[in-house]
Amino acid sequence: MTSQKRSVRLSGLPNSTYIFIIVFVAASIIVPLFFTPGNISTLLTQACALMLLSTAMSVCLMMGGIDLSLGGVVSMTGVIMAMLLRGGAAPSLAILAGLLSGMVVGFLNGVVVTRMKVPSFIATFGMGGIAQSIANTLSEKRTVSWAAPTETNLLTLLGDNALTVQFGDSAAYTLSISVLLVLTIFIIAVVLLLFYRTTLGSNTYALGANEETARLAGISPNRWKTGIYVGAGFLAAIAGMVLMIRTNSLQPMIGENLEFQAVVAAVLGGNSLKGGKGSIPGAILGALTLFTVRNAMSLSGVNTSVVMVVIGCTLIVGMVINEVVQYYAAEKSKARAGIHAL
Amino acid sequence: MEEILSFDKISKSFPGVRALDDVSFGLMRGEVHAIVGENGAGKSTLMKILSGAYTADTGRMIFEGREIVNNSPKLSRDLGIQMIYQELNLVPELSIASNIFLGQELKQGLFVNKGEQVKRCREALQELGLNISPNTLVKNLSIGAQQLVEIGKALSVNAKILVFDEPTSSLTDSEIQELFRIIRMLKARGVGMFYISHRLDELFEIGDRVTVLRDGKHIMTDRIENVTINGIIEAIAGRKIENLYPRNRGEVGAPMLEINHLSGEAFQDVSLVVREGEIVGMAGLIGAGRSEVAKAAFGIDKYKAGEVKIGGKTVSRHNPQKTKKAGMSLIPENRKLEGLALSLSIRENTVIANLQALNPTSMINRKREEDTVKEYVDKLNIATSSIEKRTMFLSGGTQQKVVLAKWLLGKSQVFIFDEPTRGIDVGAKNSIYELMDELANRGAAILMISSELPEILGMSDRIYVMSGGQVVGEFNASDTTQHQILELAFSNA
Repeated sequence: MTSQKRSVRLSGLPNSTYIFIIVFVAASIIVPLFFTPGNISTLLTQACALMLLSTAMSVCLMMGGIDLSLGGVVSMTGVIMAMLLRGGAAPSLAILAGLLSGMVVGFLNGVVVTRMKVPSFIATFGMGGIAQSIANTLSEKRTVSWAAPTETNLLTLLGDNALTVQFGDSAAYTLSISVLLVLTIFIIAVVLLLFYRTTLGSNTYALGANEETARLAGISPNRWKTGIYVGAGFLAAIAGMVLMIRTNSLQPMIGENLEFQAVVAAVLGGNSLKGGKGSIPGAILGALTLFTVRNAMSLSGVNTSVVMVVIGCTLIVGMVINEVVQYYAAEKSKARAGIHAL
Repeated sequence: MEEILSFDKISKSFPGVRALDDVSFGLMRGEVHAIVGENGAGKSTLMKILSGAYTADTGRMIFEGREIVNNSPKLSRDLGIQMIYQELNLVPELSIASNIFLGQELKQGLFVNKGEQVKRCREALQELGLNISPNTLVKNLSIGAQQLVEIGKALSVNAKILVFDEPTSSLTDSEIQELFRIIRMLKARGVGMFYISHRLDELFEIGDRVTVLRDGKHIMTDRIENVTINGIIEAIAGRKIENLYPRNRGEVGAPMLEINHLSGEAFQDVSLVVREGEIVGMAGLIGAGRSEVAKAAFGIDKYKAGEVKIGGKTVSRHNPQKTKKAGMSLIPENRKLEGLALSLSIRENTVIANLQALNPTSMINRKREEDTVKEYVDKLNIATSSIEKRTMFLSGGTQQKVVLAKWLLGKSQVFIFDEPTRGIDVGAKNSIYELMDELANRGAAILMISSELPEILGMSDRIYVMSGGQVVGEFNASDTTQHQILELAFSNA
C-alpha cells in the first residue's frame, strides 16, 4: 500500500522534474565549477526573467491560449522604465509606469482574443511585434542607461543582495542571494497561491479543456481570459524590470525570442499547446533546466554552436521521459480506477 | 401536487430551423417528467433554454410562481435548476471534487475551501454508492463513473429541479438501478425532474408523466399509466414502426471472425466465433472487458496470448491497417474520441479511412468522393443540409450514422459494433438495426457489443456473456431471457 502511494506521488510530480534532476546532477559531476554557491546563485538570478515568463506562459497555455507578446512586452516595459529613469523620474514611478504599460498590452491581447475572436497565436504575436517596435522607436535602438543614483533608493535596494554568505575566498564560494531573486520567488509564490487556492486554477483548466463546459458552469470565459492576459502582461513587465536592474542599463532587444523560450520551458514542464493541462512548477523547472544547460556549457567553455545541439538533445530527451512517465502513470491509475468504479 | 415550473408558449428558431414552436407544459414538485422525441425534436433546446444557455425568442418560464427574466446559466443555477448533460461536461485534469464545485466553489474569502469541498463531495459520492476518492482526477475515471460524477455534481448543491439528459446511455444495468434509487430518493425530497431518454422501457419504470415533442412541437403530455410503449413510439416518429428489430437474415455460413484463447490486460482466455450472415451479441457489464477484446481483435491494443483469425486466416503482427485490409471494421463506442474527427466535414470523415480505395491513382478525385458520400448519406438517411457540414454540429444519432458510413464504405465483411445505438433515438436506432440486418443478409459477420439487453436479445442470433474479463456463457438468442444473461453477467464481477 505504501509503495503504491509513493509511486502515485512520483507520477504526480511535474513533468520536467526528471530531466531537471538529470541535467543538474550531470552538470554538477562533469563541470567542476558548476555546483558552487556562487555559480548556483548567479544561475538562479539569471533565470529570474525566464521563470516569470514561463509562469505566465504556462497559465496562458493551460487556458487554451498562448501569449507570444511576452518578449516584446519585456523589451517595451524595460525601455519605458529605463527611459523614465534616464529622464530623472523617481524609480517607484518609473517601475509603476512599466508595470501599467505591460498590463495595458495584456488587456489589449485579451480584448482582441475574446471580443474580436482573433486566434491568440496571431493576436499576441502581432501585439508582441507592436510592443517591440515601441521599444525600438522610443530607444532609437540604442542601449538606455541612466545616472547612478547618489543615495539609496528603490533601485539600489532592488539591485542589492539580500543575503551574502562567504564559504571561501573566491567569488565561486560566495553565496549571494539577490533581492531580485527573492522578489521573483515571492511573486511566483503569490501566483501559485492564487492558482491553486482560488478559483483561478480550476477555471483555467476548465477554459482550456472545453470553453463550453466553463460557460455552462457559470464562468465568464471572456472576463477570465482577459484577466489572465493582463496578469501575463504584468509578469512580463516584472521580468523587464528584473533584467533592467540586473544589467544596470537596458538593451532594447532584450526581450527578443524570450517568449519562445518560455513556450519551450512550459511544454517541457508538461503543458500542452492544446490547453487544458500542465503545471506552473513544471514550467519553472523547465526554465531552470534550460538555464542549467546553458550555464554549465558556458562554464566549461563549449563552443556556442555545440550549446544549441546539447539544448536540443536535452529537450528531446526530456519530452521522451515525460511520455514514458505519463504512460506508466496512466496505466496504473486506470487499473486502480477500474477496480473502484465497479 | 403543486407546479414548480411551467413553460408557457416557448418558441425558438435557429437559422433555417424552427427548433421550438409554441411549447407549453409544466413540471410538478417531486415528479419525474419524461421528455421524449427524436434527435432534433427540440428536447435539448428546451432544456438549454431552461438552463439559460439559450434564450427563447418568445414565451415565458414560470418558476415557483414567478417569471424567470434574463435567464443565464448562473441565474438558473442560483434558482436551483441543475443540468446533467448528455455530453459529459467534466474537466479531465481536475479532481472529482473540483469538478463538482466548478463555478460554485465553496469559499473562505478569496480562497477555495478545498477541505470542505472534498468532504461534501465524499458525502455526495457515498450517496451515489461510489467508493472513489474525491481527489481522483476525472481523466482517470471510466465513462460510466464520469456520468455518476455528473449526477453527484447536481446532488452536492440543493437542486429544486434536475434535468437528466440521457443519463443511462453509458451506464450498465446495475448502475441504472442505482441511479433510479437516487432518483426516487430525490423525488421523496420534492425535487422535480425532467428525464430525457431514448430508452422507452425506462420511462415506465421511473416516469410519472411523459411529454412527447416532435419537430419542435408539443405533441402530448400524459400520465405514464395512460400510455403504451407503442403509443409513445408512434407519437415520437409520427408514423408506425412495424418492427424495431428486423430479421431478414438467411443461412449462417463459414466462420469469418475467430478469436482463440485471447488474453490481454483486461481479459483472459477469450474464445469466440462469428459466422457469415450472423449477428452475435456480446453482453456484460461495463468493465467486463468487452470493448477491450474488440480493440485487441482489431489490433489497436496488444494482447499477450492467443490468436485472431479473419476469414479463416490468422492475422499476425496485428495492427488496424492489417485487419482493415483483411476485411474487418470496428465501429467504436466513443464516437467523439475514436470515431470522428469533429472539425472535419461529413464528406471528409466518411472518406478518411478509404482514401486509397476511392482514389486508386493516389490523386484525390473530388467528384467520385462526393458521389460516393452522397450515396451513403441517402442510404443511411443522414439528416444534413450538406455533406460539407462539420460533424461537430450534428446530433448524436447523426454522428453515429456518419461513423457507420465511414466503415461501410470500406466494404468489410466482418464488423464489430461497440454500443452502436448509444444515445440515439428510436427512429435512428431502427434504421441502424435495419442496416445491420441488411449487412448480415448480404453475408457479413457482425459482433455487436451492447449494454442494452432488449437490443442484444432483439438483434442477435447468438449471445456471448462476458464477466470479469472472461466469456462466461453462450446462448442462442431464441431460447434465453434477460434474467439469464444478467445473472451470468454478474457472476464473475
